[in-house]
Amino acid sequence: MRWRFERRAAPADAALAVAGANATAIALALLLGGLLFLPFDVAPLAAYADLAGAAFLTPRGLGYTLVAAGPLVMVGLGTVVAWRSGFAYLGFQGCLLMGAVAAAALALAAGPDWPPAAFLPLAVAASFAAGAGWAALVGFARARFGGSEVLVSLMLNYVAALVVQYLVTGPMRDPGDLPQSPLLPHATWLPPLASGSGANAGVFVALLAALAVWWLLRRSVLGFELEVAGLGARAARFAGIDVPRRIIAAAGIAGGLGGLAGALEVLGNQHRLLDGVGEGIGFVGIVTALLGKLTVVGAVVAAVLYGGLGVGGNVMQRRAGLPASVVTVVEALIVLLVLASDVLLRYRVFRPRRQG
Amino acid sequence: MAHLGWVAFLVTWLAGGVGLAGPLLLAALGEIFAERAGVVNVGIEGTILLGALASFLVAYATGDAWIGLLAAAVAGLLASLPLVWMYVWAQANQVVVGITFNLLAVGLSSYLYRALLGGGALDATIPMLGDVPLPGLASLPLVGPLLFRHPAPFYLTALLALLAGHVLFRTRLGLDLRAVGENPRAAAAAGIDVRRMRALGVLVGGAASGLAGAYLMLCQIGVFRDNIVSGHGFIALAIVILGRWNPYAAAVAALAFGAADALPISLQMLDLGVAPQLLLAMPYVLAALAMSGLFGRVAQPAALMARHDEA
Repeated sequence: MRWRFERRAAPADAALAVAGANATAIALALLLGGLLFLPFDVAPLAAYADLAGAAFLTPRGLGYTLVAAGPLVMVGLGTVVAWRSGFAYLGFQGCLLMGAVAAAALALAAGPDWPPAAFLPLAVAASFAAGAGWAALVGFARARFGGSEVLVSLMLNYVAALVVQYLVTGPMRDPGDLPQSPLLPHATWLPPLASGSGANAGVFVALLAALAVWWLLRRSVLGFELEVAGLGARAARFAGIDVPRRIIAAAGIAGGLGGLAGALEVLGNQHRLLDGVGEGIGFVGIVTALLGKLTVVGAVVAAVLYGGLGVGGNVMQRRAGLPASVVTVVEALIVLLVLASDVLLRYRVFRPRRQG
Repeated sequence: MAHLGWVAFLVTWLAGGVGLAGPLLLAALGEIFAERAGVVNVGIEGTILLGALASFLVAYATGDAWIGLLAAAVAGLLASLPLVWMYVWAQANQVVVGITFNLLAVGLSSYLYRALLGGGALDATIPMLGDVPLPGLASLPLVGPLLFRHPAPFYLTALLALLAGHVLFRTRLGLDLRAVGENPRAAAAAGIDVRRMRALGVLVGGAASGLAGAYLMLCQIGVFRDNIVSGHGFIALAIVILGRWNPYAAAVAALAFGAADALPISLQMLDLGVAPQLLLAMPYVLAALAMSGLFGRVAQPAALMARHDEA
């Protein structure tokens, strides 16, 4: 009675099979990532436990995790909207920076004169608009001229980074050695949830955004049309949907969410505009949405996990000298291996019944 | 005197542009093979970074830049093996695999640099490949400094461009590769191994990107930082499209980007008082405009990014 291994006629699609394949992939990614701990004399299992403990099990750590997760949630939600609409947008880093500029500029201009209740909604609107405009440019190029949103958005990320660099070395520079803006007035910072906790009101902004995107995609006509356009542009056109306009709409909403990521990063975390602000969030956020299979709930959960990984990684770097880049490796490996694990579903292992 | 200043500016600008075009073209040449076979490898940005790191580490350890160059090609090939598997066998979404791989490459190269050199070796220096003026040709007026005073990888890249054009358009292998990128099912029916061709395309692209990283490192940068590649791979993708998937046209497109890349450095000589970031953004703006579709859409390989078992 030997085990046999053969290709299935159709890939397995039972929930248990998919979950099993994904769990295998995640375990393998953690295992491979754990190998990177060894040269630093860090025991992988204990290190993962430490890392998770630092990120999720202390109130302070959990606060930091939520602060780190906020911008990732925003970018992830933007990815869900754009990609499900068939718009493979990769420019969230640029949107984040534009949103960060808008939020910082408004905070520096408004200063402490405005009550927070007036400032925060305005800052949210301004950074949403900044990110939306940045992404809508690309949406317009794709919808109107058939341009490649993948490459155009990648290029504009670098342009946005240089715009920020220009601002913090020129017009918005704080007198001093470092290329950064002055510290934002304290009144414009996102208020903490509770004293002693690192978490701030950004958590609510992120949750509200998640609810709004869920409503958009599952309950609204526009969301339905976006998804139809994403599933097949031709079919959508025959159904009377103006696909180019929907693409621009998707780009605008997605970019706006990316802009909000910048607002959270500046008002809730850095409290000033600086060169390299929010670096990496644009891409890690996309990756969390992909890990969440482009669903709202999946993207939020993955963003919190990855936010925690980042926080835990920094703690490990301080405590054990383990480079924080290990976390980036693990984050990417998880997604790559989960993608690859689909192959497992194409095969089956079984024991043939004995013939009579 | 002002006149002399402009001439000096033009010569340094154009010579610099030709030099900076080299690594871009090298990466683009490899990517042409991948895309002609039907795979868009956004992961070349990460492969270039890994190639740069490999060349840096090996040149540092051995003291020989040439061994570093070789190591980068090997690193590019090795890094492409998982990519081949993801693109060709798992047939996952190519853009998703590419950007995730880039993230992996950033993390991995930063980790390896610290793990192998430690925190203290931030400014480890390596032997670099200097300019090799071609005897006779280098002393020609104007063309000499523009084309014949470059490091060895530059001439290698020029030769590879000719070779790539020959292989793609004048050999059976090139025909098979292009057939797979245009219509995988027809190619398979004609007895071509589709997977093998796509794998070959990605591997050629990987080796070329690794070499491009070494070229950047050994001839132009000389120190390792996480952000040294800064979009060179993405610009190479744009060059492939602008060059209509043709190595010779890609060479022209690469020169345009090289010139845009070199402009900020040479404009500093003129002291125009323009913010440097404005000039540094030029190549990216140029690439974004070129890809925006404003200047017409181009006929790409018909089965680009298509799954080969469904196309």
